[in-house]
Amino acid sequence: MFQIIPPRLTFVLIFAVIVYFIIILSLLKHKKLNMKYTLLWLFTGVAFLVLVLNPILLFKIIQILGITSTMNGLFIILIAFLIMLVLSLTSIASRQASRITTLIQTQALLEKRVREIESKLDESKEENKE
Amino acid sequence: MNSKKSDVLIIVPAYNESENITGIVEEIRDNYPQFDYVVVNDGSSDNTGAICKKHGYNHINCPINLGIGGAIQTGYRYAREMNYEIAVQIDGDGQHDPAYIEEIIKPILEDKADYVIGSRFVENKGFQSSFARRAGIHFFSFLIMILCFKKVKDVTSGFRAVNKFFIDVFADYYPIDYPEPEAIVDAVMRRKRILELPVVMRERDGGKSSINLKRSVYYMIKVTLNMIVCRISYGIRR
Repeated sequence: MFQIIPPRLTFVLIFAVIVYFIIILSLLKHKKLNMKYTLLWLFTGVAFLVLVLNPILLFKIIQILGITSTMNGLFIILIAFLIMLVLSLTSIASRQASRITTLIQTQALLEKRVREIESKLDESKEENKE
Repeated sequence: MNSKKSDVLIIVPAYNESENITGIVEEIRDNYPQFDYVVVNDGSSDNTGAICKKHGYNHINCPINLGIGGAIQTGYRYAREMNYEIAVQIDGDGQHDPAYIEEIIKPILEDKADYVIGSRFVENKGFQSSFARRAGIHFFSFLIMILCFKKVKDVTSGFRAVNKFFIDVFADYYPIDYPEPEAIVDAVMRRKRILELPVVMRERDGGKSSINLKRSVYYMIKVTLNMIVCRISYGIRR
């Protein structure tokens, strides 16, 4: 039959999730995390907590998935969340890379304009002197 | 020196091309005093920027190296900002002979094409590149053929001329690091007229090619995937 999570492990997992939330909140408080990118992490934590507190729900989900051990089921669900998180991070990195490119180009074009304006100014100054 | 005097802009991307840049720019200035040009110094670590400044070339300095695609896009953004009608891109390493600029912009001036590629394989004259590279180029050519039913022989040629439509398109988006084949797929899928004209290319005068043997496997895989993704993003057409 299925092995439900042992009580001691349940406490350990709940404690771990609480520590995890405290770390996230303190990072948020010190503005070291952007809320926009933190939502997925918070959501992962909440989902994990719900599954740990509701062994019956976890039981049903892993039954549907065809997994034979509760702990394995918990790990697989967690790994799925982690993969999604990493993918979203890659997507954020890509987006930022293209934004940085646009910024560099705009800066380069502006620098050229400033350079031209400065040289024109110098020319007109010299003309005035003469 | 910097004011716009023509409707044609020649974009010369240059990354660490201190050995070649004077040669190519002087050639453009001598052959085509009627056209404007701009050198895009792509965050070079050598003195390419200093040379441009010393000679008073019309140039843009990217503070960080963007890669060839990003550098060319900077040129297209400049072309759009200055309202040019035609843009020509020519490599800063002296591989392309500026003498052909007139020929490759002619179809655009006559409104016979929107996108012209200077190709070394139409008449097979001049420097033809190594066997391995030619094999790679033929593979991409074949890929473009099956992806969008268009025969383009010299898909990696960076010697191109485009009209205002493509200046606008490329100013908004240009593929980043190995952009040439992907740009062709993009252009074909926009149902524009693409023309390949024969040019004679030279062997590089100095400096190193951006693609060495180590990177070539990575290059092949990446460009292939990019082209396929670019094709897919247009859905079913033609």
